[in-house]
Amino acid sequence: MAAASLSRLSRRASAAAAPSLRRILSSTATAPAAPSSSPPPVAAAAAGADRVRWDYRGQRQLVPLGQWLPKVAVDAYVAPDAVLAGQVTVHDGASVWSGSVLRGDLNKITLGFCANVQERSVLHAAWSASTGLPAETLVDRYVTVGAYCLLRSCTIEPECIIGQHSILMEGSLVETNSVLEAGSVLAPGRRIPTGELWAGNPARFVRKLTNEEIMEIPKLAVAINDLMQSHFSEFLPYSNAYLEVEKLKKSFSIPL
Amino acid sequence: MAKAFYAVGFWIRETGQALDRLGCRLQGNYFFHEQISRHRTLMNIFDKAPHVHKEAFVAPSASLIGDVQVGQGSSIWYGCVLRGDANNVQVGSGTNIQDNSVVHVAKSNLTGKVFPTIIGDNVTVGHSAVLQGCTVEDEAFVGMGATLLDGVIVEKHGMVAAGALVRQNTRIPCGEVWGGNPAKFLRKLTDEEIAFIAESAANYSNLAKAHAVENAKPLEKIDFEKVLRKKVAHQDEEDDSMLSGTRVVPPELAPPSSTPAQ
Repeated sequence: MAAASLSRLSRRASAAAAPSLRRILSSTATAPAAPSSSPPPVAAAAAGADRVRWDYRGQRQLVPLGQWLPKVAVDAYVAPDAVLAGQVTVHDGASVWSGSVLRGDLNKITLGFCANVQERSVLHAAWSASTGLPAETLVDRYVTVGAYCLLRSCTIEPECIIGQHSILMEGSLVETNSVLEAGSVLAPGRRIPTGELWAGNPARFVRKLTNEEIMEIPKLAVAINDLMQSHFSEFLPYSNAYLEVEKLKKSFSIPL
Repeated sequence: MAKAFYAVGFWIRETGQALDRLGCRLQGNYFFHEQISRHRTLMNIFDKAPHVHKEAFVAPSASLIGDVQVGQGSSIWYGCVLRGDANNVQVGSGTNIQDNSVVHVAKSNLTGKVFPTIIGDNVTVGHSAVLQGCTVEDEAFVGMGATLLDGVIVEKHGMVAAGALVRQNTRIPCGEVWGGNPAKFLRKLTDEEIAFIAESAANYSNLAKAHAVENAKPLEKIDFEKVLRKKVAHQDEEDDSMLSGTRVVPPELAPPSSTPAQ
């Protein structure tokens, strides 16, 4: 089995490598000829200095506000179209998926180890909370926040699940090992005690979680972390959209 | 000399690109060619063009499509979609429409009437709200994740609670809170809460200014600030608050006007 896959891999590798290597050689061979045939104007070379660093998506992923710069750990995954503004800290192994907005312009937002915030969620923090707890939004380790969630100045302790499309309002607190069902709305200043399942609009206590279910909570976060790794490896440090821009610039005969 | 550097740079890039292609081939046929994003913040549909007041903040990732009017001091936050293709969308002044909200108009509905969406002045529309063909009057409040369907009217100082679904042709009277699915009358607003709605809208328009400044920065300035940040990076937030209490921050990195909002 292993030998067969290895041979298949090597065959593919050799088949693929041959034309590519040839192309490398040919491109390097033709390279010196190209600039000499059309000498680049000096001013244009200076104008082209932005070609790698420029973000062609239009929206910056990290928006600093004042001296607050969003901090993202090296092995955390932040999708290219998520927006992190202001005082946002994303710890190791955490993931922020496409379309999410983490806006820490009034207070801190923290995402703990292995936490994940899925598609199109919004995390925001108010200036002050009515409950006397700190008004920052804290999503602690091994927390899964589902798609379309709205979290505002709430604290989520380690190992929780927040279902899709649920809304957590100011000053709410979700204690360790609890689950909020999908589509529920947690009113301001409400507390979900540890090991309970809550659901509904407004959210109410449903039942206690069994031990097995509690064991499953961090496993879900780890599974999403694994999934995140595969997404993470697809992204290079720089996007290659600049190639497209250069092509466009050439077609409009704008000097590079 | 410059020409020589250019030539060397050219070789390196060609090789890099060739290596990139080689890497893609080795990964199989799964390689992905990234296109430039065609996202347009303001987009017209044939003759319907959006009109945005120059002092309004529209986040770069928001999209305003078709007949959309945005008044002075309003803010459209990240990821919002305002789609005025079938009918028009009007947003007054000092209004904020927060992240990932959708405001659109229905092409047709069961009653056969097509309403424009009109949002008044100093309205706060919370995160991820969906407003479809409805009227929201001045100083109203639409909570996070609320859905307003066709023909809903939220009167002045009306409030839609978070996560509510307001059904077709409902009228939310002045000074009342409606919530739930479908939305029902919950309680009357107190005078402080009514005052708070206007205050929150004002705070938001201040906050929007800081974001507008940051998002309007050209590339050179962003890079310059990156360098500046690296310089001051060794002054950690925690330790200098313990020691001296004052912190030397270059004027370029001065915090935006920190007004408490909400």
